[in-house]
Amino acid sequence: MAASTLGGFISSLFPSLTSKSQAKPSPPSLPIPPPQPPVSSDSPYLTLSASSSSSSSSWRSSYSKASVKEEDLMMFPAGRDVMSVVCPAMAHSNTLFFKSAYNVQVVVGEDEPEEALLRRFRREVMRAGVIQECKRRRFFENKQEEKKRKTREAAKRNKRRSRRPFNKALMMEKEESAKKASEVEDDDNWDLPEEGLLPN
Amino acid sequence: MAQPRARIGSRRNGRIGSRKNARRIPKGVIHVQASFNNTIVTVTDIRGRVVSWSSAGTCGFRGTRRGTPFAAQTAAGNAIRTVVDQGMQRAEVMIKGPGLGRDAALRAIRRSGILLSFVRDITPMPHNGCRPPKKRRV
Repeated sequence: MAASTLGGFISSLFPSLTSKSQAKPSPPSLPIPPPQPPVSSDSPYLTLSASSSSSSSSWRSSYSKASVKEEDLMMFPAGRDVMSVVCPAMAHSNTLFFKSAYNVQVVVGEDEPEEALLRRFRREVMRAGVIQECKRRRFFENKQEEKKRKTREAAKRNKRRSRRPFNKALMMEKEESAKKASEVEDDDNWDLPEEGLLPN
Repeated sequence: MAQPRARIGSRRNGRIGSRKNARRIPKGVIHVQASFNNTIVTVTDIRGRVVSWSSAGTCGFRGTRRGTPFAAQTAAGNAIRTVVDQGMQRAEVMIKGPGLGRDAALRAIRRSGILLSFVRDITPMPHNGCRPPKKRRV
């Protein structure tokens, strides 16, 4: 009897999950994770550390939901409390499917053309650098290789950053400020005073 | 004394799926594991219990042709066909691994008419863990 009502309750919660997840804005702060068995209790924190570094792009993207899986957990606050009273053993069974730590998440809108979805997904993945990272970790690279790779990446990054401000006015301003700085220095009197004025 | 009784009870809870052939799952998860040599598409329910699977190898491709995007497409199509008959409407997609099958499988899933809620990439990333094998000198 308890099992049937439990099933009905959980299935009635699913439509609310799917409809709400589109509308609710993504909360950046972690809600208190539910009391899970100790094995999986590490997973909320792990996902944040794992996905925050590599999926920081997904935070910025306008489409992707950008929240860690805990956002789904926030849909069930009332459900969890009721469940823990009604049937404590199965109270947190719906948390079982929130275990995966993802690198990139793309929320699919309705009636999105497949090309657009693919393009968005590919762009997100490229920003997260998943495939690059995979290829790098396939085989071991010694210190030499690692140094080479890092210099290459740094050169690429610097070139991209130095190429950005190609605004001429900005460049002129920078030159002027540099000149002014040198002039200010010339006003300082570094010459020694005359002999008579020096105290002995 | 209490243990045999508890074991039977747990077995009944866990293995019920194999008794009913047509498990009606309206919402499921499609896992796509795309490696360089092969693509495996597994359809599970929300909790992760496998409903059906298919791979490029089982679709008749062998050798280097398993890793191609076309093979991934047929594998995805195969896997979804069995599940759509069981009445699955919504699905999440979890993609793992580098490989050419990623985009092709996603395209095939999209084309099959199943509503997608999320598309996630769950490629496992070590935080500098195990040492990978040595470089190939080909």
